[in-house]
Amino acid sequence: MIKLENVSKIYRTKTIETVALNKINLDVVEGEFLSVMGPSGCGKSTMLNIIGLIDEPSEGSISIGPNKIKDYNGKPIAKFRNENLGFIFQSFHLINDLSVIDNVELPLLYRNGINGKERRAMAEEALTKVGLKNRMKHFPGQLSGGQKQRVAIARAIVGKPRIILADEPTGNLDSVMGNEIMDILLGLNQNDKTTIIMVTHDETMAKKTNRLVRLFDGSQVS
Amino acid sequence: MLKNYFTLAIKVLGRRKFFTFISLFGISFTLMILMLITAFFQTELGGDAPLGKKDQLVYLDYIETFKQYQDTIPKVDSTMMDGVMQYDTTGFKYEDSGRSISRGPGSIKFWTTHMEDVPFVKFRTIYTDYQSFDIFINSNKLTFSSTFTDGNFFDIYNFKFLAGKPFGNQQLENQAQVVVLSQEACKKYFGINEGTFDEAIGKEITLDRKNYTVIGVIDRVNNSFGFLKSDVFIPYTNAAPEVLNRERFNGSFSATFLAENASKTNNVKEELVKRSKVIPLPNPEQHDQLEYFPATYTERYAWTMLRMDEPEKSYKYALGALIFLLTLFFMLPTLNLINLNISRIMERSSEIGVRKAFGAHSGNILFQFVFENIVLTFIGGVIGFILAYLLLNTINGSNFLNGTILSFNYKVFIYSFLICLGFGILSGFLPAWKMSRVHIVNAIKNNQL
Repeated sequence: MIKLENVSKIYRTKTIETVALNKINLDVVEGEFLSVMGPSGCGKSTMLNIIGLIDEPSEGSISIGPNKIKDYNGKPIAKFRNENLGFIFQSFHLINDLSVIDNVELPLLYRNGINGKERRAMAEEALTKVGLKNRMKHFPGQLSGGQKQRVAIARAIVGKPRIILADEPTGNLDSVMGNEIMDILLGLNQNDKTTIIMVTHDETMAKKTNRLVRLFDGSQVS
Repeated sequence: MLKNYFTLAIKVLGRRKFFTFISLFGISFTLMILMLITAFFQTELGGDAPLGKKDQLVYLDYIETFKQYQDTIPKVDSTMMDGVMQYDTTGFKYEDSGRSISRGPGSIKFWTTHMEDVPFVKFRTIYTDYQSFDIFINSNKLTFSSTFTDGNFFDIYNFKFLAGKPFGNQQLENQAQVVVLSQEACKKYFGINEGTFDEAIGKEITLDRKNYTVIGVIDRVNNSFGFLKSDVFIPYTNAAPEVLNRERFNGSFSATFLAENASKTNNVKEELVKRSKVIPLPNPEQHDQLEYFPATYTERYAWTMLRMDEPEKSYKYALGALIFLLTLFFMLPTLNLINLNISRIMERSSEIGVRKAFGAHSGNILFQFVFENIVLTFIGGVIGFILAYLLLNTINGSNFLNGTILSFNYKVFIYSFLICLGFGILSGFLPAWKMSRVHIVNAIKNNQL
């Protein structure tokens, strides 16, 4: 479903060249739950950003489904991201001025053909899946870390994307909350067949997934 | 989506209250001043009665006869010849040494002899400037300003009559002793209240020991135009002999020409200037040239403010100064607001990154932030509107503009609305455009949400 071919990401300044990713080749099958591990600075998040089409590789190509991605700018790629990808960030990145339900609805604002009532219904459904429907009028400032991350998961799945990209989703949570989050992600993968790619430092979490990819200094080592 | 943006806009305003206050103060103060200026010019130049035909009017307030004097100055060349200084005084040079000028309104003779049948003119009227009459009623002194004029005056100036009718050429031919009164004069002289001005029609008023019959009562003139705000309008056949002075060139009367239509005012001006070259002067030994400067309504208005030599020059300077000052006045808070908006929006770069990650394109981001800014400027506009309303009432109550009442009308509201909108778009666009182009990864790295 997701294919990376010789993907490299190189940051160049006037004097220094930094290779963040070095000729990565990766195939992710539909419905797979893939973990990506490695030391800090090895390129995990960079690879996730490239798969998520929010960053452009310096070399190589990426295909998602039958679509080989050529243009990383403009409305077509924004539409593709909206319909096919969901993001979960380590720091949650909820908008504090909006209520929980408004945060969850956010991806649907940029999708045509859905009216306000339908958006609300879909957002409530997503919140039900993560067990937070009773908090939908609350604001992020009134939630615990685990609850915030569950709202972020609801936001990521509200548009029913085929792929979810999670960048250290349990990184800012204690073990209890981390396990709750992991259970939700596993449930999404097993019940809804959602393809999930998760960057993590936590071996315990990684072992629960289908496959583990290790990166070191921008290169794939396993 | 708009509800979402609107909710966010209100929430963002509440985040940094001091910055919000600065922004709103800048916007509301600027808009208050702009609304006041708009209301002022709408009142002065808007074309309400009796200036409904202002776009067709050409004014000649004064005529100038003059003679240019020159000094003959001997030019002395000196050379040294055989040890002796020799002087040659056969050369001369000529310099303008000054003018002898006579400037002032024209006489009846001037207007009726030389200013009839001007091409492109529908009507011409002549009138004096303010003349004051003191009247004593029950030992109370009233001072009425008056204007002597002709039968075409009310064809050109469309006063609103509350009762009766104007006088025309027939009354002048008959040398009728009739007057048209302002409603204020009517109230003061006859003690008549609003809504009953018909009672004044046919009554007599004594001015300068002469009795006149009131044939019309006009509504208050809401403009600063001097002679239009007179208390009494009288056919000029009733003026004193020295006012009429039928033999002289200069006199007491200015003129207004009503062009056939608004596009003909320049033609009228040209025709009048052409005439100045061929009008025979009564004392060419004393003054051998005639000059005057016909002016449209707006040119004359500018000239009364700036008093430059020529009304056209006054108008250009006034317009240039006004545009410059308004641009400066408009741009300074806009630039300030742009600056504030840039720092506000930079704080939300993480939010922008998240929105883009979930499918917003640059246009969505641009629209969102411009919309938020429009909300902010509209709130500032409402505050400015309220402040302007309060200030207008204060100005009107204090009689600061000598009887001219500034008011809001739909035109002022629309201009203010558009200014508000332009302000919002202008001050929000640049920061929003800048942020809409931020790379998603870099935006998300900023964790300030």
